[in-house]
Amino acid sequence: MNEVALLRSLLAIGAILFATGVIGLLTRRNLIVMFLSAELSLQGIAVSLVAWSRYHNNFGGQMLVIFIIAVAACEAAIALALFVKLFHDRGTLDVVAWQTLREENLPPHIDIEVPEPEAREEKWPELTPAGREPAPNLQQQRHRARV
Amino acid sequence: MFDSWETMQSLAVLVPALPLLGAVLTAILGPRILKSRAHWPVVLGLTGSAVAALCLLIGVNRQAAQGAFADDPASSRLTLWEWASVDPAMPAPAALRQASGTMAEAAAQVPFHIDITLRIDPLTALMLAMVTLVSTLVAIYSIGYMHGERGYWRYFSYVGLFVFSMTMLVSVSNFLLLYVFWYQKPAAAAAGKKAFLVNRVGDFGFALGVFLIWTTYGTLNFHDTKLPDGQAIPGVLGQTRLASLAASGADQEHDPDHSAPHDAAHAPARKPPAESLYVGGGWFGIGTAICLLLLVGACGKSAQFPLHVWLPDAMEGPTPVSALIHAATMVTAGIYLVVRCTPLFFASPEAQLVVSVIGGVTALMAAIIAVTQTDLKRVLAYSTVSQLGYMFLGLGTCTLIGATSGIFHLMTHAFFKALLFLGAGSVMHSLGGVIDMRRFSGLRHKMPVTCWTFLIGCLALAGVLPFAGFWSKDMILAAVHERAHEGGSFTLAGQSIFHWLYWIGTGTALLTAFYTFRAFFLAFFGPERFPGELDHPPHESPPNMTLPLAILAAFAAGLGVVCEWTGWFDKLLLKTPSLAFAAFHETAEVGFHPHIAAISTVTVLIGIGLAAFFYLGERTQIDRIAAWVRPLYRASYGKLWFDEIYDALIVKPLWILARLAYVVDRYLIDGIVNTIGRLPVWTGALLRPFQNGQIQSYALAMILGALILLGTLALRP
Repeated sequence: MNEVALLRSLLAIGAILFATGVIGLLTRRNLIVMFLSAELSLQGIAVSLVAWSRYHNNFGGQMLVIFIIAVAACEAAIALALFVKLFHDRGTLDVVAWQTLREENLPPHIDIEVPEPEAREEKWPELTPAGREPAPNLQQQRHRARV
Repeated sequence: MFDSWETMQSLAVLVPALPLLGAVLTAILGPRILKSRAHWPVVLGLTGSAVAALCLLIGVNRQAAQGAFADDPASSRLTLWEWASVDPAMPAPAALRQASGTMAEAAAQVPFHIDITLRIDPLTALMLAMVTLVSTLVAIYSIGYMHGERGYWRYFSYVGLFVFSMTMLVSVSNFLLLYVFWYQKPAAAAAGKKAFLVNRVGDFGFALGVFLIWTTYGTLNFHDTKLPDGQAIPGVLGQTRLASLAASGADQEHDPDHSAPHDAAHAPARKPPAESLYVGGGWFGIGTAICLLLLVGACGKSAQFPLHVWLPDAMEGPTPVSALIHAATMVTAGIYLVVRCTPLFFASPEAQLVVSVIGGVTALMAAIIAVTQTDLKRVLAYSTVSQLGYMFLGLGTCTLIGATSGIFHLMTHAFFKALLFLGAGSVMHSLGGVIDMRRFSGLRHKMPVTCWTFLIGCLALAGVLPFAGFWSKDMILAAVHERAHEGGSFTLAGQSIFHWLYWIGTGTALLTAFYTFRAFFLAFFGPERFPGELDHPPHESPPNMTLPLAILAAFAAGLGVVCEWTGWFDKLLLKTPSLAFAAFHETAEVGFHPHIAAISTVTVLIGIGLAAFFYLGERTQIDRIAAWVRPLYRASYGKLWFDEIYDALIVKPLWILARLAYVVDRYLIDGIVNTIGRLPVWTGALLRPFQNGQIQSYALAMILGALILLGTLALRP
């Protein structure tokens, strides 16, 4: 396989990755999936950078990719922290839950009604009590009272 | 004793400085410390100033007797400090280069130097003496009149400032400073909006005149100025120009072609000759324009037609202020200006004619209005306008006797008009502020001193033989008569106008006598009637009010006789450098005119007789006469409808213009501004739907934007 053919296939892979990421970003509503899609398109770019780097025999592109990976890691950390916070607030990861941040007097956008989660009784596993109740550990209790 | 230049220079500084000092002291100490004694600094300052002015007059008289003013000596001026200096300011105008003759082309830039220079000459000294003397008497009178009023200290402070600016006005030797003090005075004088507006019109004309003098003559100084580099700039009224005028006048006198003055039809018009350094030149010449612009200023300040409307309305303030404004300070400024600029007017016969015509028209018109007014102060105000018209009439002849008679009448008028106003104030004081003559009469037994001093003032104003007004009025009529019958600088048309003016003057004398004695008889004769709201019968005013009346009455009675018999006044005044040029000499020797005096005496006596016939005893005939000439009566009573005419011609159109401007501003200008203000809002409204809160649409927009960028990059040639 000559260099040009290799470059082509690598660029094709990068393009596919990028397109997949973009399509995912535009079509999915789950925050985490959207984030993953964005990461996917980023990696598509990274692949094409590496391909060109190899083709030109220049390591600048690969250096850049290493930077991209480092930055993406930071990004991921921040994004996941944000998602935890967002989920805490709304109880869902659907981005539509955040469209109230739009301009005040615009109508809400409703494409497909999100089905109400059916009210399900929360069931936690219960263990049958068995055996003897352990005697209170006074030292431990005192320690807890202090803490 | 006072004739050394050093003494006179310090006196010339003292005269304005003392009233200013008094005013400042009163303003600082008045409200807290002096309170009801607030008049002391100002009265003392004014008295000191009057004494200094009289000493200055004595000194000037001595110097004049020795002929010291003949060549406008430098020591007759005192430069205090330099006020403004721009060097160089302007290319030298043609008139200046012509004057200095040798001025090199390289140095053809004139500097703009304004020095605070006080001048000492007979005209200034006479004006200073008159202003300070009358003001002092008015201030003493005010102690009684204003007693217990609110703002007592403020009143005296203003009086001091008035006198300061008036004395500075007649002392300075520069048109710009003249304008400064000219402009300052009315601001506080007459609070009326009308007075303010009308005076602005006059001031505007004066300012334009000053600008024109600067561009024409290249200097604003009256006197010749020596620059530090030894170069001399001839002043507007300086010796260089005056000498040129005198020389050209003398040439013409010895001109063999010059016919006898009585043969006016064949006499060549006495035009200012070309070698004179004054710019003249026909109806549309620069010289005429300067004179007419200065005249507009003088008309505004001296209440001449058509700018006279403010003076009778400026009497809402205390009566002593009216006396001060009408007699001593404000209105005389216009006369002073015209007299000071006599050489300029001499260069433009057209402007002289305008001065005289305005004066004559004003004199007659104001006298007609004064005949029917019922407010005593208003009668006096219109008589002031009328007498000022007389002065302009005299000045406009622009002969020696004309200028002298104008100033002479100014002096005598200052004394007897101050006397009349203070007398009216005394009446008001005792009647609790009532001044409408329909509501009181027969005051002569209750207020004898006021009555008899007022009578002296009336006699002087009417111009009865031994009193001051007679001599000055006679002199003006003689000047006009002289001008009408001698060639003068005008051809036949101008002369016939002066014929008319002479008869207008005589008719005005008749009316003056009539309305003066009408007011006198109405107020002091007839049955004793007093306004109903008075809780005590009227009484004579306190001595500090009657004493100034008596002093003024003495002046009003005696000043004319003394000046006329000794001839001291004319001789002194004509030593003033700007009046002493030889071109005047052809009309210099004008003495007492028996036939003019006889005519005016007869008319005055007819006027007094008519007044006595109608207003003494039963006042039944006058109503019948008034009914006969109803339109005339109504015209006079309605002040010839000047207010209505101004309302229709000026106020209404301006009001409509203001409405128009309002509509344009409200709807057009505001519309444009508001549209510009709303543009961002509209743009925002267009962009706002994109902010729909859906992250996918933002992402799509971002990607599309990136695609467009890439697309343009790819498609770029």
